[in-house]
Amino acid sequence: MFEHGASGAGGHAGELDPAVERQRVLLGVRLFILSEVMLFGSFFAAYFVLRAEAPAWPPVAGLARPELPLVGFNTLLLISSSFTMQWAVTRIGRGDVARFRRGLLATLVLGAVFLGIQAWEFAHNGFGIADGVFGSTFYALTGFHGAHVLGGLLLMAVVANRARLGLVSREHHTAVEGVSLYWHFVDVVWVTLFLTVYVL
Amino acid sequence: MESNVSPRRHLGIAIAIWAVLSVVGIVAVAGMQALPIVASKEARVVNGAFVVLTVVSVPVLMFVVVAIAYSAIRFRAGGDDVEGPAIHGHGALEVGWVVVTLAMVLGLAAFGTIGLLEIRGDQRADLEVRASATQWAWAFDYPDLGVRSKELILPVGERIHVTIVSDDVVHSFSVPAFGIKQDAVPGRVTQLYVTPTATGTYGVQCAELCGLGHTKMVTGVTVMETAEFETWVTQQRQQP
Amino acid sequence: MERWRRPGLARAVLGGVVGFAVGVLLLLGAGQLGAELKPGHLLALGYIGLVLGWLAGLGAFRFWLAWALGRPADRADEAAAHGRAGDWTRYFRFTTDHKVIGLQYLVTFIALFLLAGSLAMVMRLELAQPGQLFDRDTYNTIMSTHGTLMIFVALNAIVGGLGNYFVPLMIGARDMAFPRVNALSYWLVPPALLLILANPLLGGYDTGWTGYPPLSEQANLGEEAFLLAFITLGVSSIISAVNFLVTVSRLRTAGMSPMRLPIFVWSLAVTTAIVLIATSVVASALTMVLFDRLLGTAFFRPSQGGDPILYQHLFWFYSHPAVYVMAVPAFGAILEVVPVFARKPLFAYRLAVLSFLGIGLLSFMVWAHHMFVSGMAEFFHIPIMITTELISVPTGIVFFSAIGTIWLGRIRFATPMLWVFGFLWSFLIGGITGVYLADVPTDLALTDTYFVVAHFHYTIVGGMIFGLFAGIYYWFPKFTGRLMDERLGRLHFWWFTLAFNAAFLPMFWLGIQGMRRRVADYPAELGAVNLWVSIAAFMIGLSMLVFLYNAIRSWARGPVAAANPWRARTLEWQVSSPPPVENFEHPPVVESGPYEYGAPVSAPAIQPSPATGH
Repeated sequence: MFEHGASGAGGHAGELDPAVERQRVLLGVRLFILSEVMLFGSFFAAYFVLRAEAPAWPPVAGLARPELPLVGFNTLLLISSSFTMQWAVTRIGRGDVARFRRGLLATLVLGAVFLGIQAWEFAHNGFGIADGVFGSTFYALTGFHGAHVLGGLLLMAVVANRARLGLVSREHHTAVEGVSLYWHFVDVVWVTLFLTVYVL
Repeated sequence: MESNVSPRRHLGIAIAIWAVLSVVGIVAVAGMQALPIVASKEARVVNGAFVVLTVVSVPVLMFVVVAIAYSAIRFRAGGDDVEGPAIHGHGALEVGWVVVTLAMVLGLAAFGTIGLLEIRGDQRADLEVRASATQWAWAFDYPDLGVRSKELILPVGERIHVTIVSDDVVHSFSVPAFGIKQDAVPGRVTQLYVTPTATGTYGVQCAELCGLGHTKMVTGVTVMETAEFETWVTQQRQQP
Repeated sequence: MERWRRPGLARAVLGGVVGFAVGVLLLLGAGQLGAELKPGHLLALGYIGLVLGWLAGLGAFRFWLAWALGRPADRADEAAAHGRAGDWTRYFRFTTDHKVIGLQYLVTFIALFLLAGSLAMVMRLELAQPGQLFDRDTYNTIMSTHGTLMIFVALNAIVGGLGNYFVPLMIGARDMAFPRVNALSYWLVPPALLLILANPLLGGYDTGWTGYPPLSEQANLGEEAFLLAFITLGVSSIISAVNFLVTVSRLRTAGMSPMRLPIFVWSLAVTTAIVLIATSVVASALTMVLFDRLLGTAFFRPSQGGDPILYQHLFWFYSHPAVYVMAVPAFGAILEVVPVFARKPLFAYRLAVLSFLGIGLLSFMVWAHHMFVSGMAEFFHIPIMITTELISVPTGIVFFSAIGTIWLGRIRFATPMLWVFGFLWSFLIGGITGVYLADVPTDLALTDTYFVVAHFHYTIVGGMIFGLFAGIYYWFPKFTGRLMDERLGRLHFWWFTLAFNAAFLPMFWLGIQGMRRRVADYPAELGAVNLWVSIAAFMIGLSMLVFLYNAIRSWARGPVAAANPWRARTLEWQVSSPPPVENFEHPPVVESGPYEYGAPVSAPAIQPSPATGH
């Protein structure tokens, strides 16, 4: 972790060696993700505690957990989107901008479909955020996760636009790597969420 | 400033001062009663813990005070530009410091554990009392005796199991004379055990900020001889 | 008209107002469609709009927006954003120079400290005598606001102020790793402060800074102000922490190995690591309260399965490490000052670094000592008592290192060194009394009494404030280019220290007598001591006037300071006072550690073209 990098020098104009800049940005992204892990961790902790203290789960008759097949399918979509994202990253690493853009687009579409299906699921699962601790923990977790997915899609759209303008290349694609780190994190959170909130 | 005094001598003098002050301090605090009133078995444990912690604190306090006072007086710069010796550390001292402080805190933790287990005791109880907290008053009932009361009345010498509930916000049942305290949490039942050892009337106060009436959420507990207590119970039962 | 087109404060205020209106109107629109609206909803969404509008008006987003839209970077604008030397307006703009940001933080939080201190004096007016002066609502709101503001000060003054200013300089860097993120973290602060300071107008809040539900779910609209302000500052802290950590790990100049880092830099690395990990947890807890209030969730509503103790766990999981966020930078500042004025190397530097790491790690394992009487699971008590006692070992090493440095040294009692000695006494009292609270039996008697109030004032004021003043008096010549008046400095120190001890030492006794916290009244027999405490508290307030007068007058007209008036060896002293805008003309090369006093070594850094001092 400790490296003897130059102190932001590189001339008076403040131009930085792209390799050095890339390392700094990616470290920043990883650290930010660490704090987001704690954010989700807190909501998971709340879920585990409140569920453990409840006499049954769901605690109130009339509430039911959403059907697994649809959510399972949705989970597969999101997992696939991590693969397409990683594929896109390796493509741009080889300088293949065209395939990179395709991979990115595929990821974006998969992510958007995921959100769409989730919205449908929310509209039809028969309970709301105000339905006791069941609703609270469910929607807080999936809601924050969904917000992170949306944020990821926006970032992808920005990167896609920059790629369209020819600004993403083998030498300059730090943002792509940063977004992919973020996207994999979002995926891991979802898998955890799926397993603990939907399945267990 | 004092170039003819060896480091060893400085150390010796400082240690001597420290030892004298520590002994004087320990003697001064060893017999003290920390809590203003000690009216229960638990308060005795608390008071005892207090004294022990204070006795242990004396040499610690004196160590730092003597070290900095001695340094401030004897190691003052002498108006010249001379720098101090280039000492970066001392391996044995560093290890020794960590070992000694570690031993001290583990000792304190062991001591605290013993005290805590003593206060908790076992699940046995001679009398059941339920303390109900609400914004902003206390109410007490004795489920086995069929009695309710706004004031807490207890028999001396008996082990009381107090269960504590709240119907609105977090309060805290605190009796300083008994050395006990436990929060009242809505949605759960908390508890404590207390054995009063001295008759008299003591303050009961809410010790968790519970809103605008927190300051006024106080009442009293009266500890009576067993016979008196039974009379009181009978009287309470006769009331509608 | 020109000023509304340029990014700046005027446009930021306009943006804030517009943003607030947009937020509120959007919600009112939703209300027309059938949603049930509470004032808290309007405040929350209005506030979010306000923050976004404020930042947009400042031009905070313009670089990232340009990047996102694929526009070429405006180099001239970026250079201008860094600010020119001598341009005082750069302190009122979105300026990316870490030195500007450091002073923005420092001045803002010192002003906040004085304001919060004034609230304390109002509280002491109430507590000077038995009986009630103010109505209960007023007292509780004043008490809650005092605590909240002081917590904000303690979390930000050293890290944001002295940290931002000096970390890049001390490691030989031009700026922080992400200067624009740095500016963003500062400019999130004013809207948060506006909100918390406006809380009395919104009905106040009576829950203290700890905001325990269910009380915080009953409280007035002022509670939303508290929650939203705290969350905003949390976001600001997290992005600032990312910046510090990347800076310290990646921007060190050649030769600045980890074991040659100034101890202040180490203290901030550990501190910001704690911030990074812990802050999201309290943000979640506060968000859950907000959701319970505004969205009908049941996280802490027992009737619907919620658990108030869950809040306490989440809250204290952050808030205990948070007190180390307050104390560790102060430890760093103190240990930074000691070698300079004892003219002796920092004793046991490696052990001190290890102790900071130990504190950082252990700080996450002790939170439940705030909850011994909360009704939490009993099995927790003993392990937490053990870990809490254990944390005194690394904390004690700070004393070991400081005392080892002054012992056999050549001490010069300039004002910064006075504050060091004051710290050593005050934090000692704070630390020792902490043991009474760590020990569960004594904690049962002392928790939620004035003993706790005295303990945390001795640790936070005795630690953080004494460390802050040591740092300010030490580094004032560097960031202003002027010297502070020594006599006034000594007067401030003695007046503050004596008044502080006079006010807070008796509080231990009051706590042992059973006087509870957060009460506006108390039994009559405690009246005399409370009166004394109140008078002493007013004296603390007055002592701050000495500091203000000295600081302002010295900044304006004090004697010009040389580059290195204290003859210190860290890198910030090897450039002019104040430093040039780019810090170093060429990156310095470090050849030795920062505390090589008493031995014939070369200067700590070689600069190919030495920067000129005044």
